[in-house]
Amino acid sequence: MDGTGATGGPPRIRSGALLDVGPLPGRPGIRASGEINVSTRLSWENALTELSRRHTDVSYVELSGVRFVDVAGVTALAVTAMNLPVGRVVVERPPPQLPRVLDLFWPSLHRIEVAPR
Amino acid sequence: MSTATTDATFTHPALFYRSEAEYTDRTVAFVREGLAAGEPVAVAVPGPNLELVRAGLGTDARDVTFLDMTEAGRNPGRIIPGVLRAFADGHARAGVRVRIIGEPVWAGRSAAEYPACAQHEALINAAFAGRAATILCPYDEARLAADVLADALITHPTVVTAGGERVSEEYDWRAVVARYNEPLGRAPDADVLVFGPGELPEARRFAVERAASLGLTGRRLQDAELAVAELTTNSVVHGGGSGTVAVWSEAGQVVCEVRDAGRLTDPLAGRRPAEHGQIGGRGLLLVHYVADLVRIHTADEGTAVRFYLGL
Repeated sequence: MDGTGATGGPPRIRSGALLDVGPLPGRPGIRASGEINVSTRLSWENALTELSRRHTDVSYVELSGVRFVDVAGVTALAVTAMNLPVGRVVVERPPPQLPRVLDLFWPSLHRIEVAPR
Repeated sequence: MSTATTDATFTHPALFYRSEAEYTDRTVAFVREGLAAGEPVAVAVPGPNLELVRAGLGTDARDVTFLDMTEAGRNPGRIIPGVLRAFADGHARAGVRVRIIGEPVWAGRSAAEYPACAQHEALINAAFAGRAATILCPYDEARLAADVLADALITHPTVVTAGGERVSEEYDWRAVVARYNEPLGRAPDADVLVFGPGELPEARRFAVERAASLGLTGRRLQDAELAVAELTTNSVVHGGGSGTVAVWSEAGQVVCEVRDAGRLTDPLAGRRPAEHGQIGGRGLLLVHYVADLVRIHTADEGTAVRFYLGL
């Protein structure tokens, strides 16, 4: 469950923690800052959908301004990368949860390359 | 060759042993029987027993997967997804049974760990129903308490003793799941924070600050942050929208607990391995993967999930 209530479930959750996400200037991909959690998941997933729509060979996801990403946020990125027909996603300077969750659930996901902080 | 499909019944005998020699004889015979039938075989038992099986098998050991259960199965809640299903699913082919020795209960399991061990043994029956697998669970009759051995008769449909294999008349795994669904008391010195739907980052920060002040560092502290985030998110999404998070230390471990008004109705929640492309449902699984122990109490009044991380 991602908490966005596709089946008429829980109401939209509001939180003080915000996510600012948009296109990456000068390179294919997106940049984000803030928190990726249940409150901000919709805008994160929308940005990933846009990334995969525009993807050709290598897309970049610049996360130096992201303080925290939860398991569902990492899952959305992993599933996006797995569904790309070609190429790969380079995740730049993610918070420590991202490599940890990737390692636990997708230890050999070759479509994602992590460039650490 | 017959074209008959593999018997998809799950068999789950307990093995009651009294000596190293008996342990070695029984487990080695069990492994060899599997190897002779062409079955993939794994042995997940505590280190010293691992060596007994390995030595007893001699060169046959090279065809067997060995795991030290005190590491892979330190948290009993991780054993089904991370050890048993991981091996079984990794060898799932039409017509192939898998064979595993799993020893999750040993002398020295703490009072906090044991209820989770017993529930784990019970839930194996649900997790493997209809799967072509044999899981043998050794119990040290000489060193384990009488009530532990009595529970093994309730969680295993058959039992192997020196006298041979027999059906367990006591078998009723649901009773053990229910019995160890025990109310959990908090330490009197626990720090507690109430959180609402807009306060997930605050709940997380609170837990991280308290866990750090109790001595948790590095990756374990990061794991605590992730696990608290998943549990508090579950409270907000499934557990009535709010809850409390509490942190304290106990016997060399940091304990983080999240309570909310929800009720867990799926006894296997957090114990099914995630499908590769599965979107949701990984939160409790993550908690089981990173923690040394997870205890859960769920009732109409609400649910408490606590996890332990060693300092």
